[in-house]
Amino acid sequence: MKNQIKMKKIILSTVLMAIVVVSCNQKNKPDESVKPAATENTSQLYSCPMHPEVTGKQGDTCSKCGMELTEPVVKTEAVSEEVKTEKGAVTPFSITVDANVNDYLKVKNALVNDDSNGAAAAAKALLATFNAANTTSIDAKLKKEYIEIADDAKEHAEHIADNAGKIEHQREHFALLSRDINDMIKTFGTNKKLYQEYCPMYDQGKSGYWISDSKEIKNPYYGAEMLTCGRVEKEL
Amino acid sequence: MKPIIKKGAILSVVLFLLMQLYQPARNVEYGQVSPMHFTKLYKVPAKVQGILQTSCFDCHSNNTKYPWYSYVQPVRIFMDSHINEGKENLNFSEFGTYSKRKQRSKLDRMIKQIKSDEMPLASYTMMHKNAVLTSESKAMLLNWIEETKDSISANN
Repeated sequence: MKNQIKMKKIILSTVLMAIVVVSCNQKNKPDESVKPAATENTSQLYSCPMHPEVTGKQGDTCSKCGMELTEPVVKTEAVSEEVKTEKGAVTPFSITVDANVNDYLKVKNALVNDDSNGAAAAAKALLATFNAANTTSIDAKLKKEYIEIADDAKEHAEHIADNAGKIEHQREHFALLSRDINDMIKTFGTNKKLYQEYCPMYDQGKSGYWISDSKEIKNPYYGAEMLTCGRVEKEL
Repeated sequence: MKPIIKKGAILSVVLFLLMQLYQPARNVEYGQVSPMHFTKLYKVPAKVQGILQTSCFDCHSNNTKYPWYSYVQPVRIFMDSHINEGKENLNFSEFGTYSKRKQRSKLDRMIKQIKSDEMPLASYTMMHKNAVLTSESKAMLLNWIEETKDSISANN
């Protein structure tokens, strides 16, 4: 009896100590809510978040919708628009794109096979490939665009990797990842023969696109349930 | 009372009191809404904004409305870890710093999470009954986010 009480006391005090140690270890993190606007200079032009063609000074409102102009205008934008029109052209960076696409296709194939764990593992590899990508060969004008695509794609890859067992959740992120990969191929070109395919049933027809290296439809959004549902939208 | 129990009780009370000394900085903006805040970027109807305020902003912005029990440790530690995770995934206060692509992704994710009732989190609505989305407010919110997302997509 006495031993039991002693044990209880030891357990209780250990738990309490653990809590105290944990709470003391949490360093008072610096406030991360730094206002990003502080660094912008006054000559900076801003555009409307909904109508990018409308520009003006900070605090002005959009002539079309009355919203505040909040998007900083990047001066190189006009130039990068020109480059963007050369879609599909192979660039030195296409090798990196191809490496990412190869990993992406493994995620896709796992989803086709309804293999949630396989998709998670493949997404993890994709994330590593993204992180290892050498961006020095990218044209400076396109770098911003690449970083935006890669940041978004990495986030979706991470969610797919972290949600083994929740295949519906993985598929939702796969739809968004597919859009990023598609845009990356469009902007930086690929040495591979690829197709954009589409399932009009998924997400009310809104986001059911994917990239494949084969014309034969194998649906990653429904897997065995509706394996051949879908169509080839275009060649990339 | 056995002395050993008494000692244990005293020890735990002391530790509990000591724990209260740990009160880290709060996730509060003190009236200074960031120009990058979601509500400054988009024309949010008052009703939708109300829903976002009561059901989302506590964990997904830089301004949490803390309940009284947040002043008691270790509740606060658990709460902070939730808020940090919430903000990492989606921070309405810094929505404007996201790229257009990311904004669109986030809007898409909001729709899916709300539709599937993953958000607001059950552990949150348990303590915040008014944060539960009624089918009416859920429909209104989803409708508005869909419209906003589609308008961004059309412009890009």
